[in-house]
Amino acid sequence: MNSAPVLQITGLSGGYSLNKPVLHDIGLQVKPGEMVGLIGLNGAGKSTTMKHILGLMSPHKGEITVQGKTRSSDPEGYHSALTFVPESPLLYEEMTVREHVEFTARAYGVERSDYETRSLQLAALFNMEDKMDTLSSHLSKGMKQKVMIMCAFVARPALYVIDEPFLGLDPLGIRSLLDFMLELKQSGASILLSSHILSTIENYCDRFIVLHRGKVIAQGTLAEMTEAAGLRGLNLEQLFYELVQGGK
Amino acid sequence: MDLKELRRQRRSRFMGSMIPYAGYVIRSGVAMVLLLVLIAFSAWYTALLRDTPADLPIRWIMLVLLLPAAVHSSFRTYLRSPDTIFLLPQGHRMKEYFAPAWVSGNVWKILRLAFILITLWPLYIRTDAAHGSLLLTALVLIAVKLLSSYGLWRETAMLSRPAAAGYQLLRWAVGGLMIAAWLWQPPLRALIFIVILSAAYFAALRVPNRHAVPWERLIATEKNQGTRALMMLGWFVDVPGREQRVYARRYLSRWGGGIAWRRDSAYRFLLTKSFARGDVFGIVLRIAVLGMLLVLWNRSSYAGTGIYLFFLFITGIQLSALRKLHSESFWLTVYPLPAGSRADSTTQFIFRTLLVLVLVLGWPFLLTLGERPLPAAGSLLCGALLAFFFKMYMQRKAADPDDDDL
Repeated sequence: MNSAPVLQITGLSGGYSLNKPVLHDIGLQVKPGEMVGLIGLNGAGKSTTMKHILGLMSPHKGEITVQGKTRSSDPEGYHSALTFVPESPLLYEEMTVREHVEFTARAYGVERSDYETRSLQLAALFNMEDKMDTLSSHLSKGMKQKVMIMCAFVARPALYVIDEPFLGLDPLGIRSLLDFMLELKQSGASILLSSHILSTIENYCDRFIVLHRGKVIAQGTLAEMTEAAGLRGLNLEQLFYELVQGGK
Repeated sequence: MDLKELRRQRRSRFMGSMIPYAGYVIRSGVAMVLLLVLIAFSAWYTALLRDTPADLPIRWIMLVLLLPAAVHSSFRTYLRSPDTIFLLPQGHRMKEYFAPAWVSGNVWKILRLAFILITLWPLYIRTDAAHGSLLLTALVLIAVKLLSSYGLWRETAMLSRPAAAGYQLLRWAVGGLMIAAWLWQPPLRALIFIVILSAAYFAALRVPNRHAVPWERLIATEKNQGTRALMMLGWFVDVPGREQRVYARRYLSRWGGGIAWRRDSAYRFLLTKSFARGDVFGIVLRIAVLGMLLVLWNRSSYAGTGIYLFFLFITGIQLSALRKLHSESFWLTVYPLPAGSRADSTTQFIFRTLLVLVLVLGWPFLLTLGERPLPAAGSLLCGALLAFFFKMYMQRKAADPDDDDL
C-alpha cells in the first residue's frame, strides 16, 4: 500500500487577520486508511484548520497538500480528492435529498451507475428512504445532517474532512455513521474527524491531534500521547483534560 | 422595552442598507429603459384618450387593474428568527410593534391604488356615461384595501394553513365582488351590498382558531419580503447574498433529470432545480402569459412588435437575476466544479430559456404570416437578436464581473 500521506500540512500559520493569526505552525498528516481525530476546546483552531484545508481561507505561511496537490497548482484535482461534512448542515432549499446527492455525484464525476447504487445504500443506512424526495427545508436538523453525510459519502474521494458529525444525529444515525466510516477506512480512505465526544472517537480513531490555542500540543496514538505526557493508563478524555488544563 | 422604537430602528437599518445602491439604480441601463417605456406608454395613453374606442370594456379594465391593487396587501415587520427567543416574553405587547407596520403597509398601498385610479379615471369618464364620483370611488377602494389588509392579517395568524389558503381566495372574491358592485350597480344599491358583504366577511374571519402572535409565519413572510426587495434591486445592480423564495412545484420535479451526466453540467443541474422551484420562474411565467395575450391582441400592428420586444426584454432582465443565484454558495467553493462551468452554464441556460420565450411570446405573429409576412418574420428575428444581445451581455459580465452596466 502507498503510505504517502493523503493530507499533509506543514508549518501552517493562518487566521482571519494577518496581524492576529489563529493557527501557529501547524504540522500534521493523515495517511491512507487512517482515521485521525482532531480535538481541542472551543476556539482552539479546529474549524479554522479545516477551512484552510478546504481552501476557504488562505494560509499566511506553510503548505497544505492533498494527494500531493496544492490548491494553487491544481484546484480541480485538489478539491476532487476531498469532501467535507460541516458542523451545521448547509443545504440548497430548492433541492430534495435525492437531488443533493445527485448534484454531489455529478460534481465529483461519479459514474451514474455508482451513484444509483451508493444513493440507495446510503438512504437505507441512514433511514432516509422515505425522505429522498422531500425538499431540504422540510427536514429536521438531524435529517439535514444525514444529507450532508450522504453527499460526502456518495463522492468517495481519498480524504474526508468531517467537523462534529454527531451533532443532531439520533443514536442509530451515530452508529451507522461510525460503522460506515470504519468501512471506508478499511477500503483505504482517510478521515480527519473533529469531535468533542471523546469517549466515542477514542475507540474509532487511529491517531489523535490535540490543538490548543492554535498550536498542536500533542499527537499520536493514545498510547504514544500518554507515554509522552508521562500519564500512562489514562483514557482520551482524562488525557485531554490533563493536556489542556494542566490537571487543574 | 420600547417596541415601536425597536421596529423603527430595524426599518432605518434596512433602508440604510438599500441607500448605497440608489446611485447604481439611477445609473443603470435598466432604469433608463424603464423610463423610456414610461414615456412611450404616456404617449400611447394620451393618444388613446384623444381617440377612445366606443366599445372599450372599461368596467372590466377597471376591475382587472384595480382589484390587485386593492386586495394585494403586505407588511414589513422586520422580525427575525432570534425574536422567537428574545421578543417572546413581549408577546402580549406586540400590537405596539405591529401597528406601525400595518399603517405603513396600508399608506403605501393606498398611494399605489390612488395612482392607478387617477391614471384610469380620464379613460373611465370618457367611455362610461354612468360613471360615479371620483371621491366616492376612491373611498370605496380604500375601504376594500383596509378590509383586505385586515383579512390578510387574520389569515397570517390562522392555525390551519389550508384554512388560511381558503380565506385568501375568499379575500380576493370579496374584494372583486365589492369593486364589481360599485362599477356595475347604482351607488346606493352597491353600498348596501358592500356593507352586508363586509359584515359577513368580518364574521367569517372570526371563525378559525389562530395564534396570538404567529411568530414563525411572520418571520418566514418577512424573509420573503426582504428577499423580494433585494430581488427588485437585483434588476439594476449586483446584490450579494440574495436568497430566493422556494416553492415545491412537484409537477416540475423531473425537470433537470435529463441533463448530461458530466461534471461540467453539474451546475446546470443545480441551476435548473433552483429556477424550477424559485420565484424567478413564477415571475417569468406570469410576464410571458400576459405578454403573449397582449401580442395575440395586437399581432397585426407594429404596436404588437413593440409589446413583444418589451416583454422579451423584461423576461431577459428577470432571467439575468439567475447570474447572482448561489453567488456565495459554500459548496460551489468546495466542490470540484470545472473552472468557468458555472458562468457558462448560467449563460447557456438563460439564452436557451429566452429562445423558448421568443417562440412562446411570438407565435401569434405566425398567424399573420399570410397577410404581413415581413413584419411578422421581422418581429421574430428581432426577438432572436434580443436573446443574442442578452447572451453577449452575460458573457461580458462573466469576463468582467465588476461591470454593472447593461
